Amino acid sequence: MTRLFDRMANAPWLFLAPALAVYAVFAIWPMIDVTLVSFQRWNGIDPTRDFVGLANYTYIFTQDPVFWTAFRNTLIWTALSLVFPPLAGLLLALALNQPLFGRATLRAVFYLPVIIAPIAVATMWRWMYDPFFGLFAQLLTNLGIGIPDFLGDPDLALYSVFIAYFWQQVGFSMVLFLAGLQSVDASLVEASQIDGAGRWNRFKHVTLPAITPTMTIVLVLSLIQSLKAFDIVYGLTGGGPSQSTQMLALWAFSQSMQVFDFGRGGAISVVLLVITVGVVIPYLRWSQRREEQLK
Amino acid sequence: MKQMIAATRRDPVLMGLWLSLLVFALIWFAPFVFIVFTSLKSSPEIMTSGAFTPPGALVTQNYATAWNRGGFDHAFFNSVFVTVIKVPLGLMIAALSAYALARMKNRWNKLVLLFIVFGTMIPFQVMLAPLFTLVNSLGLVDTYLGLILPYLAFGIPYQIFILHSFFKSVPKELSEAALIDGASHFTTFRRIFLPITLPVMAALLILDFVATWNEFAMALVILQDADKWTLPLGLMSFQGQFSNEYGQLNAAIVMTVLPAVLVYLIFQRYFVSGLTSGAVKG
Amino acid sequence: MTNSHRKTVLGRLLCAATLGAGALGALGTTGAMAQEIDIWTLNFSSEKANNALNAIAQEFEEANPGVDIIWTQRGVDELKTALRVSAGTDSGPDIFFSWAGLGLGGEYVAAGMSQPLDSYYDSYKWDDTLLPTAAAFASSYGDGHKHGVPFTFKGEAVYYNKALFEKAGITEEPTTYDALVAAAQALKDAGIPAFAFGGSVNWHVMRLMDVLLETECGAQTHDALVAMEANWSETPCATEAFAQMQMWGENYFLKPFMGIDQPQSFNLFVAGRAAMMLEGNWLVQQLNEVSDLDNYGLFAFPTGTDRLYGFAEYHYISAGADDPDMAAKFLDYFNSTDVQQRYLGAMTTNSVNADVVYENQLPLETEWNALFAQYDAMFVNGDQGFPASVTAEYFRVINQTATGDMTPQDAADALQSYIDNLG
Repeated sequence: MTRLFDRMANAPWLFLAPALAVYAVFAIWPMIDVTLVSFQRWNGIDPTRDFVGLANYTYIFTQDPVFWTAFRNTLIWTALSLVFPPLAGLLLALALNQPLFGRATLRAVFYLPVIIAPIAVATMWRWMYDPFFGLFAQLLTNLGIGIPDFLGDPDLALYSVFIAYFWQQVGFSMVLFLAGLQSVDASLVEASQIDGAGRWNRFKHVTLPAITPTMTIVLVLSLIQSLKAFDIVYGLTGGGPSQSTQMLALWAFSQSMQVFDFGRGGAISVVLLVITVGVVIPYLRWSQRREEQLK
Repeated sequence: MKQMIAATRRDPVLMGLWLSLLVFALIWFAPFVFIVFTSLKSSPEIMTSGAFTPPGALVTQNYATAWNRGGFDHAFFNSVFVTVIKVPLGLMIAALSAYALARMKNRWNKLVLLFIVFGTMIPFQVMLAPLFTLVNSLGLVDTYLGLILPYLAFGIPYQIFILHSFFKSVPKELSEAALIDGASHFTTFRRIFLPITLPVMAALLILDFVATWNEFAMALVILQDADKWTLPLGLMSFQGQFSNEYGQLNAAIVMTVLPAVLVYLIFQRYFVSGLTSGAVKG
Repeated sequence: MTNSHRKTVLGRLLCAATLGAGALGALGTTGAMAQEIDIWTLNFSSEKANNALNAIAQEFEEANPGVDIIWTQRGVDELKTALRVSAGTDSGPDIFFSWAGLGLGGEYVAAGMSQPLDSYYDSYKWDDTLLPTAAAFASSYGDGHKHGVPFTFKGEAVYYNKALFEKAGITEEPTTYDALVAAAQALKDAGIPAFAFGGSVNWHVMRLMDVLLETECGAQTHDALVAMEANWSETPCATEAFAQMQMWGENYFLKPFMGIDQPQSFNLFVAGRAAMMLEGNWLVQQLNEVSDLDNYGLFAFPTGTDRLYGFAEYHYISAGADDPDMAAKFLDYFNSTDVQQRYLGAMTTNSVNADVVYENQLPLETEWNALFAQYDAMFVNGDQGFPASVTAEYFRVINQTATGDMTPQDAADALQSYIDNLG
């Protein structure tokens, strides 16, 4: 008995088993299953799933009235997420890395939205965007400006949602950059100060090179984060008005879980999955090479 | 602190920077003020008073009404229950795996690690429907277990990744001495590695608490029964039903958000270290 | 430890994990002691309705010892999903609530989730007591068999603010479509938006499209369109209905409307920001709670056909019900004249039972009963007539037309092309 226990206490697969089992069943299998179902027709009720070849893909690429809107929105959203939150986060991090009075409190304020549930952020902003009694309606009326229909205007809604997302995400980039800035060699900064280098030159030649790896990480994380955008869109617009704020993740969900066309929903998921993997694999290879270089 | 004040005063650029940061911080914080103020106003007051006018008479009744109408007693219990089970359990099995990958001989280690790190990057939002189909086929829809298992699956990869790089950095001598003395890997893990991991574990614990507490999409597909809903689902449903009861709606927001905010304020420093230890230094 | 040994350990662990999961799952669903009738229904926002359900269940349990009636209540979308979920398993209910239209109840019947009730209709003589308009849906989708028993039926019509009508110089309730448009114009001239709609919930604006289709196409063509038998892009009245939709959206809605939902639009209507709302008879209770009913009037949307806009809600007995006889007995009790009379007003102001007597009604409720008496046919909401996927597209083109982002012809074409591509 003791010997059996000893053996178990030294078996690597036993250590790995719980995590691997749950991970394989609940994270990897759905990924395989979604790929399978994307070649099938299934409405969630029928006992059988019929194999239909590429029909679901042909449909979403050529017939689906919303797919390309969702695709375009996902691209716009990703582009915006790659530019604004990281940029603002970097600026904030640089500023809050200075010896400023109350900087811990300031950092906390910018980070606070990060820890709030995205669905609560959506609910908050929906109320602030309320065209009759909301925050912006009040402020703009006081300024004598007409109130745009933030969430109701199809040309505006996506950007209104993004502003809420931006408000929430800035702190995330900021914290990562702040951590990266700690790796900047203080002696180098001092040396360049003594050399009389200006702030800009100091930033360009000392700080920037030191935080380049951080920048890559922030961008990749922002990218992945943006592809995941679901809760905030669901809560703010549900993809409306007239599907103008649909995104791939949400459209896949709607097709499967609201319209109960699991095949078409699966095909949309696979498109998004392929995009994600297309980003993830090169990144993983990059970070592995970097790790080996560090060794 | 005094030095900081002095530095700020000396440098006009820093002074300007500080002022503009202050303005931005106020803007960033303003939504919270607006939400809390609204949550304490009556409906007529909301429609007539200014956004940042403090509430006249505090209508705390909004909280009680929202609590009852939204079934927040159930939602609160469910959120707490799921979080309390899932977070420590997930960390435990993640730590076991991370130890095995970092310290136990196995020629598959590298591949397994890659396989798991891959999971940190894949958005589960893509797989909501198959996840639902899976949980349903196991008969676990509307059960805590049905929610906890997928939560574990999508939570552990990141934790394994972080803990693995931490275990790797522990000096070899420390564990080898124990192993030579005849201790098993499990004992080494429990007696030597767990204690020194506590700070990292604490950081991961807090991060995972917030992530679990806030999770919405998976709960949306797995929990169909209102009695099993977690707080985010309760809030969403409340908004759908009572979007015209602004005071109560905002009270509901505050109640949903408050626990996470409190945890954040108490354990602030762990957040930053938890977020950054893996991503930046690793 | 050999390699094969490792495999078995891992295999056993996985096995145990799966078994454990199954056992835990089972714990949640079994444990029946008494004879349970599990009924899945909606969460009713009125507390009175929820209490009535429980009270009726208790009465039935007292009369039938050993029977335990369990109401499981869910929100609209949750109920729809839960029914899907249960379809393939034995964890389903004995009785379930659904809207009776083709896209909902019709789909469940087609999928074999409901069982035919012809024998119960015969033995309990339900057709003698049920209102024909309400009972009509039972024989609609079952290939000659009867499915489901009516629970409630609802009408939708135009509520208007009397003071605002007066202010705009409108003295009579519009009885023709042209008169309604003229009234809207008169309101607009007086600076009053005619209709309040909440566009973010798609089904609200859809109501206007439904009645416009009925107005422009008449009953027969409207039904053919919704049944997807007539071609939308080649049926001129469909395009004309979209054109009218656009006209209303452009001129006579309280704006902005796409960014708000139905409860918000209701608030604005009560606040006198718009003159009319296209709402169901359930609104009477809500309106009564926040305002004085004497300030409001009611008229059927003047479609020019002899059908009332509305829908029926049904109770279906599951194909897999443990004891269909007991379930039918409960439904018979639920719809009995005695129960319906005593709980009148709790769940709905009008009963599906024709023998119920109406007294002491709120003023608008009397008007509703007059409307129900006036019509003996119905046309249902688009989202109940269409399959779910077409409904999503119907929503999209209506919204685009209402906001002026799509021409009426394009809307009709888009909808038809979507229908052509149905899987």
